[in-house]
Amino acid sequence: MNRLDANTWLTEHGDYLFRMARRQLHSDELAEDAVQETLLAALAAQARYAGDATPRTWLTGILKHKIIDLIRRQLREVELPRDADGEEAVDSLFKQDGHWAEPIRPWGNPDTEAELSQLRRALDECADRLKPAMAQVFSLREVAGMETAEICKELGITPTNCWVLLHRARLFMRHCLELNGFSKVGAA
Amino acid sequence: MKWMTTCKETTELASRAMDERLPLPDRLAMRLHLAVCNNCARFAQQLQEMRRQFRIETSDKDDAPGLAHEARQRIANELQKKLGS
Repeated sequence: MNRLDANTWLTEHGDYLFRMARRQLHSDELAEDAVQETLLAALAAQARYAGDATPRTWLTGILKHKIIDLIRRQLREVELPRDADGEEAVDSLFKQDGHWAEPIRPWGNPDTEAELSQLRRALDECADRLKPAMAQVFSLREVAGMETAEICKELGITPTNCWVLLHRARLFMRHCLELNGFSKVGAA
Repeated sequence: MKWMTTCKETTELASRAMDERLPLPDRLAMRLHLAVCNNCARFAQQLQEMRRQFRIETSDKDDAPGLAHEARQRIANELQKKLGS
């Protein structure tokens, strides 16, 4: 049976919650808001804590909802990319005949802690560089693991639109990692 | 259906396959292309690897920056207000 002690939440789980939020919200301020809203909501919901999850797991569950709320609010403020947005950038990765313009180099197997954290940092930095709406959709799918159908419903866009956004985001992410020299990390 | 999809088309299929089960013809077209094209096979693998990395929970050992001092202070104050009330 786990017990809650609100006085220790910030010191014990503050950084952890912040990093999780930062990875999905792509902004320090929003991630700070997410942590604050999570802890305040947790305080209000303490009575409903059954003690079967660890406090961290319980707080993380609340954080996930807060992150989605914040992304929802964000998405109302940013313009969704139009279909034509990013089309040229995608085209530039391919030749006229649809073949890759540049060969896709293999990634190494990052196995040391240092290589792994280098990869994670590069992933975060590249995701931060996506257009805001694209970054949010990408994060909802790849980080939060939401189903595309749910994401489309949230954003009021068609599934086709969603796939186009995700396809572009993935192409850009991969390309960005390669530009960051990631293909060399740990490569034989 | 064309007998062979282009790399560009294959990346669309590989990306969509990350989100839902592809209809059989698309799945076959993708498999056929991936079987003969190293570039696209790597692309598809790298999409999986990206997802794997993103979904690994952060840990206390994570060296990404944590909460800034001011933010921590601000949140502590907000919590105290509620705790005190």
